[in-house]
Amino acid sequence: MMIQLENVTREYGDGKLVHALDGVSLTIDRGERVAVMGPSGSGKSTLLNLICGLDEPTSGVIRIDGADIAGLDDDARTRLRREKIGMIFQTFNLLPTLSATENVALPLRLQGLSRRDAETRANSMLGKVGLAGRSSHRPDELSGGERQRVAIARALIFDPPILLADEPTGNLDSHTGEEILTLLDNLHREYNTTVLMVTHNEEAAAYCDRVLRLRDGRVVKEEVVKATRLGG
Amino acid sequence: MFSLLAQITWKQWRVHRLRTLLTLMGIALGVAVFFAVRTANLTLISSLTLTIEKLAGKATLQITGGEAGFPEAVWDTVRDTPGVRVAQPVIEVIANTAFEDEGNLMVVGVDMLGDSELREYQFDEEGTEIADPLIALAQPDSILVSRIFAEKHNLKDGDKLPLFTSQGRKDFIVRGIIKPAGLGEIFGGQIAVMDVFNMQFVFNRGRNFDRIDLMNESDVTVDELQKRLRERLAAGIEVGRPASRGQGIENAVSAMRIGMTVASFVALLVGVFIIFNSFSISVNQRWKEIGILRALGVERPNVQRMFLGESVLMGIIGSALGVVLGFFFAVGAERVMSDIASKIFGYVATQQPPVFRWDYALTAFVVGVVTSLIGAWLPSRAASRLNPIMALHNIETRQRENVLGWTRMLIGAAMVVSGLALIRFAPARVKLDIQYGYSLLMLFGLILLLPKLTEWIARLMRPFFDRLFGSEGLIAVDTMILSPRRTSATVGALMIGLMFVFSMGAYVRSYQQTVSTWMDRMINSDIIISATEMARSRTYHFSEDLSKKVAGIPGVKRIENARIIFVPYADDSIAIVSLETEGWFLRVKDVIEEADSDKARESVIAGEGILAARNFAARYNLGVGDHIRLNTPTEIFDRPIVGIIEDYTSEKGSIFMDRALYKRYWNDSSVDIIEVNLEAGTNANAIKTEIQRVTKGEHRAFIYTNSEYKSWVLNLINGFFVLNYMQMAIAIIVAALGIINSLLISVSERKREIGVLRAIGGLRSQIRRMILLEASAIVIVGVLIGALAGLLNTYFLVRTASIMIGGYTVPFRFPIWIVIASLPFALIIALAAAWWPARKAVNLRVIEALGYE
Repeated sequence: MMIQLENVTREYGDGKLVHALDGVSLTIDRGERVAVMGPSGSGKSTLLNLICGLDEPTSGVIRIDGADIAGLDDDARTRLRREKIGMIFQTFNLLPTLSATENVALPLRLQGLSRRDAETRANSMLGKVGLAGRSSHRPDELSGGERQRVAIARALIFDPPILLADEPTGNLDSHTGEEILTLLDNLHREYNTTVLMVTHNEEAAAYCDRVLRLRDGRVVKEEVVKATRLGG
Repeated sequence: MFSLLAQITWKQWRVHRLRTLLTLMGIALGVAVFFAVRTANLTLISSLTLTIEKLAGKATLQITGGEAGFPEAVWDTVRDTPGVRVAQPVIEVIANTAFEDEGNLMVVGVDMLGDSELREYQFDEEGTEIADPLIALAQPDSILVSRIFAEKHNLKDGDKLPLFTSQGRKDFIVRGIIKPAGLGEIFGGQIAVMDVFNMQFVFNRGRNFDRIDLMNESDVTVDELQKRLRERLAAGIEVGRPASRGQGIENAVSAMRIGMTVASFVALLVGVFIIFNSFSISVNQRWKEIGILRALGVERPNVQRMFLGESVLMGIIGSALGVVLGFFFAVGAERVMSDIASKIFGYVATQQPPVFRWDYALTAFVVGVVTSLIGAWLPSRAASRLNPIMALHNIETRQRENVLGWTRMLIGAAMVVSGLALIRFAPARVKLDIQYGYSLLMLFGLILLLPKLTEWIARLMRPFFDRLFGSEGLIAVDTMILSPRRTSATVGALMIGLMFVFSMGAYVRSYQQTVSTWMDRMINSDIIISATEMARSRTYHFSEDLSKKVAGIPGVKRIENARIIFVPYADDSIAIVSLETEGWFLRVKDVIEEADSDKARESVIAGEGILAARNFAARYNLGVGDHIRLNTPTEIFDRPIVGIIEDYTSEKGSIFMDRALYKRYWNDSSVDIIEVNLEAGTNANAIKTEIQRVTKGEHRAFIYTNSEYKSWVLNLINGFFVLNYMQMAIAIIVAALGIINSLLISVSERKREIGVLRAIGGLRSQIRRMILLEASAIVIVGVLIGALAGLLNTYFLVRTASIMIGGYTVPFRFPIWIVIASLPFALIIALAAAWWPARKAVNLRVIEALGYE
């Protein structure tokens, strides 16, 4: 089991409480790909934030690779994220002042690798995502699809067991979106990463093994899909 | 991790070059002023001391008797003391030549027969027909001049040198030219040597000397000889090593030096705000970056370290620049300071290049780096506490509530109130450093109040901006209200700079008005004749003969002679003002306080009591009935204080006594000021012309009518404050840097917002107006809060600092015009600073701005 949630709730606000997540339990196995779908405000992003340790649950247990993260302090959760979780976002979240290589090298350097080694590996990773010739460009010199490829390269460079993706195609046109999904699919086969993807897009969900549907902070439906595997 | 964070910082600097440069300049200027003031202080003292050392020659001990000197008999006693190898009397006078456009000449009187044992006289051989110029100098009209002076005036051996002496103009014959080494280079070479006995006569020293320079026999130590001499000489006669006289000079000019040092701390404080401002904005600008780093696994402490590391680096570079810049500033500052030292305090500096001290440079450097760290501390802490989820979405959740919270507000208010209460009620004898704490307490309180005050004022301005400038005005003010942190950082930098300008301006103004009112009461003679164009001369005085001559002019009813000298008192010095009190009391009424006026007057005229200035009484905690004991060249002086008067003669404190009493104890009949009272109906200008005619070519005298004299005194006061004006200018520059910095950054920070405004139909001209209006609104708030801070600091200055440094009680006045007058200047600076960012903003491509990441 790579990710396990037991009766996790997350409430916001002092006076009038908002239940962003309300007693969610789920289990995701190593190498499994799970899509989380649901309308705005259903708790998708909260779920992602809790799993990566950016947020803390009000109650319940969250285990990542067997370790309960609810009891960890902020620094320990941050280190866990650094070592086990790669993240990609709808808005890419690249550092605007760094080049593609430097952005991709960031997680390795945070883990203590030398700049030269980190950037060598980053360049090779950029090759894998099809950006070999764009390594010295800054984010504002890249297209949306290229930026998301850089973000994917950054997320996977340290070979994390878990990849969390928050609307990875949300900011892209359908053609580029499809390219990104194919890329993720290929990389999944290479790395066998556990993927949790928040998405509005049914096509994106179709690339996963399982779809969880959320509404008002609860898992209302869970369906197993036969994943679309391009080239597979 | 460190190298990665350093790389990210470096990239930030490269992208935001201007912001980096402005922040570095803020630190550099603060450090430069701090370093310059310390270096200039040191150079000044060493320039003043160098004069003493060069004049002292090989002397191991010097005997002095205060400014009035001591009788010749002391010389005999000294020479007869076992262990004295050489003892030579000296008189020093800063005199004026009768050459046109010529400044002062330092004339040193020595005994020709023995002085070459003590001092180095290197004469130009060329063209000299005199075998031994020192012997030749024994002739009463002889004078030696430095080569520098001789070349300047084309003087050769045998030429005439006209000098204004206390006996009138006299022509001296040059009988030797001294090479520009040792004695010949003092005072920039403006030096001449005469026979000491001749000087006694021409400069009205009676049978007195200023000093005896002596050398000990080799079998007696200097300390032993000093002890022997002290046992033999009267208490008012000092025996000390030449170097120890430097301390006296340091004490004399202490008020100026303290004032400068305080102002240099203000420059640093403004520097802290610039850093704070720059880093606050940098954190704002980099929310998303911080969010990303946090999401990628950078811990909170490392985020804080990244910003602190950046501030240390900024501190290192800025401080290094500051030290270099400060060294150049020191040259200018030292010139102004030595000018003041000579004009106000009467000390002569032998100009030297500024002394570069590594320990000062290192201190300034460390202070700069620490200042930078302090300025960046809160923003970096805020950065590390950012909620990463919100930061990733670029949403400000940062403690807006905290910034505007009531707890903060109450603490701030409590600090301001306690600061005020301490200033009002704390005992006056508390040390100055602690008293500065009161002012800092108020300042920090105000800093805590800043966001709330800014918000309130902005809300008050809202309807006016709405009515005057429409929607752009409204958006401009709302932007301020919505970003309390960013706005108050800019307002803070402005507040500190303006606080200094307003409070110093108010203080100077208040001081001038007080002195002016005081002069109206005390100085009511029709004509005043002064021996110097400076506040006072320690060495050059009139003789009573001149007064007699003036008294003989038809239309002159009465003259009064006045002499002002400084004498040691406690560990410092005080001024003795000796006047012909009978006449003085006739024209100056109701000046005696805290005593029966009639009795006090009688007692002072009879020489039985003295009057003490209020600042003297306050400084030494004395009152009517207390006795003042002073060492004099004759015997111990001991008189009771019989009344208190308001007086601004010296910041060290002064006492007033009858001239006859002074002459008796100090054996000195010189005159510094002649006050001339005219017969009723006489035209003062006509008499002034007559006095000029009588003195022309004979005496170097400065003749003023009553109103001329008063404005001359006020000008001198202004001269004293020149340094403060310089510091005010630097505070303004540093504050202006702060405004430019934050406006530049605020535009790039709001790219997306500007993009949205443009996307929904905002015209380029509207965006420009909006940014310029926001700059103006910030300035208005800054000026208003600066005025409040200035008001509080003025209260501190008049209640505490003024009494501690200047010894004066100055009434609290805060001229509102100074605030109003500053507004247009501040607006011009802000609009000029905002012009470029505004241009940048209007030229943004909307699509780019909207997609700005």
